[in-house]
Amino acid sequence: MTTEAPEAVTPLFEVFVRSKQGLDHKHVGSLHASDAQHALTLARDVYTRRQEGVSIWVVPSNAITASDPALKSDNFDPMASKVYRHPTFYDIPDEIGHM
Amino acid sequence: MYTQAFDIVVAGETSPVADDGDVQTAFLARIARDEKIEPQDAMPEAYRKTLIRQISQHAHSEVVGMLPEGGWITRAPSLKRKEILLAKVQDEGGHGLYLYSAAETLGVTRESLVEALHAGKAKYSSIFNYPTETWADIGTIGWLVDGAAIMNQVPLCRCSYGPYARAMIRICKEESFHQRQGFDIVRSLCEGTPAQKAMAQESINRWWWPTLMMFGPHDSDSTHTGEATDWGIKRISNDALRQKFVDVTVPQAAFLGLTLPDSAIMWNAERGHYDFGKIDWDEFWRVVKGDGPCNAARVSDRVAAFDEGRWVREAAAAHAAKSALSKASLKVAA
Amino acid sequence: MAESRLTALPESTLLTLADTCLLWGHRLSEWCGHGPVLEEDIALTNTALDLIGQARALLQLVALRRGDEVTEDALAYFREPEAFCNLMMVALPNGDYALTMARSMLLAAWFVPVWDSLAQGTDRPLANIAADAVKESRVQLRHASDWVLRFGDGTDESRRRIESALVSLWPYCDELLATTVDGTDQAERNASWRASIQATFDAATLSMPALPDAATNLLTATASASRLTLLAEMQSLARQHPGASW
Repeated sequence: MTTEAPEAVTPLFEVFVRSKQGLDHKHVGSLHASDAQHALTLARDVYTRRQEGVSIWVVPSNAITASDPALKSDNFDPMASKVYRHPTFYDIPDEIGHM
Repeated sequence: MYTQAFDIVVAGETSPVADDGDVQTAFLARIARDEKIEPQDAMPEAYRKTLIRQISQHAHSEVVGMLPEGGWITRAPSLKRKEILLAKVQDEGGHGLYLYSAAETLGVTRESLVEALHAGKAKYSSIFNYPTETWADIGTIGWLVDGAAIMNQVPLCRCSYGPYARAMIRICKEESFHQRQGFDIVRSLCEGTPAQKAMAQESINRWWWPTLMMFGPHDSDSTHTGEATDWGIKRISNDALRQKFVDVTVPQAAFLGLTLPDSAIMWNAERGHYDFGKIDWDEFWRVVKGDGPCNAARVSDRVAAFDEGRWVREAAAAHAAKSALSKASLKVAA
Repeated sequence: MAESRLTALPESTLLTLADTCLLWGHRLSEWCGHGPVLEEDIALTNTALDLIGQARALLQLVALRRGDEVTEDALAYFREPEAFCNLMMVALPNGDYALTMARSMLLAAWFVPVWDSLAQGTDRPLANIAADAVKESRVQLRHASDWVLRFGDGTDESRRRIESALVSLWPYCDELLATTVDGTDQAERNASWRASIQATFDAATLSMPALPDAATNLLTATASASRLTLLAEMQSLARQHPGASW
């Protein structure tokens, strides 16, 4: 049993994988590693065991700044009323066809 | 993929957490609208605590679950089986990792969770406190234990907590080969020599009841089910899942020509389900509380790996610190 | 048609490669579930899987040429220990993580140029295997070299451990360098081996031990005894059920 002081926390990295050329990198999870380079090599083994990717990014978890969930309504609800930004807002005569 | 009875709580081991009524009401309304809860969202303290306990139990189960099967990697009877088993046990490690990551979004560190496991304060699926005595056990674990776990886990893909649900989706996807490879092992044994077939039957005899226990106490006896259901963590009751498992497994055993060790198993046309015998709950609680055949060995194996790995982790951290320092001084020089 | 699937390389060469991969993969598989960190446990198992896959592919070539219903499993599970042709180093027990990583680096640094030249060779069946294997060995080399660097340039304890690992493995390097692999240039391979090890040693501020003369009888005996134990375990179940399918 461990009686020494609790172990230092190994840095946490967020992992992003590009599943195939031409697509965005997508967040897939996180892992612990001593540094970014180490995180990158481990991410290959942890997150692409089934050929899930062609490219990997790792980002220290504490480098991410997130929007406040309490401000979700304030931030994003106002966009709901801007219906004119969407093509379906406009009527195009049938005679014109596809536009 | 291994969990039993998610969130097993031994009577008297936790204390209820008081919560602000307003947070509670708003939160339950969100759950009722089937909204997903994400890490930074407001959540009742009891919800957070329950999730940490359940997700970490689940993660520990995956990692401890590497041990009983891992012991047969070196003895796998063909190179193909050796590869499959290695890949499967490795997946379990991966699943433990995804789950620890999900737990960490709730503000705990993996280190603290692992310490709790090593100190004997955290639970894990008690199925892994049973020994793997023969090669057939490797097949049985895949077929029955993974089969039961899949039934438990598929509903969790819809769990209210986003990171847990996403981890479960990934796990269930990867998991789909685990049960099949187990069935395939048992099937080869059943189609093999008389000695192989006997090995399969003997293994099923030992694992059948512990597998049924994996679904946890009867609904009438599980104190936490109500809360977990209200919070959108648990979607289907223990007994309903157990029944579903029995219903699909009985015909599979018949196909293999194996006898399940329960003379009470019989089709009940009225219920539209198989009836089955009584579970020995004394055994279940004995194993949960630490008195199973392998409890001490499993934890001490994990502790040994952790302790022997300490200098490795320290070396990696020291090297990373030195490299960061020398990079910083290069920048200053430039 | 069947002709083109047969390799022209001597069986001793095929078995040297196959048995080395198999036994080394077996040793690494022993770490599964016991690694120093969960992430590393997963990473090392990938290497074990690569090696067992390489061994299978090579044993299948041998089996195909022997005919008479010989299979990869017959070769792996029913050959006597003294018929195995592995490099001695791979049979030794795992020891600590420094010993495992040092050994992984020394072997991968040997395999990379071997696979590389076989991949470019004219022996198609082997070239196909080598083309895949060289990628896997490069990953293995990078992974192991990174750890040797971390240990050399980590803590006092890790430096002490990696130095002692290298001292105990070094005598077995003589065999590594003396072994010929048909279809590859021994001098080029050894130069490549030295260069890649040297680069890691430099980065880790470790000094390369002097190469001793040929392995002593004691070393050979130790490696044979280790192989005997390893195979006794690996072959135990298969041999209890001769003729069984799994």
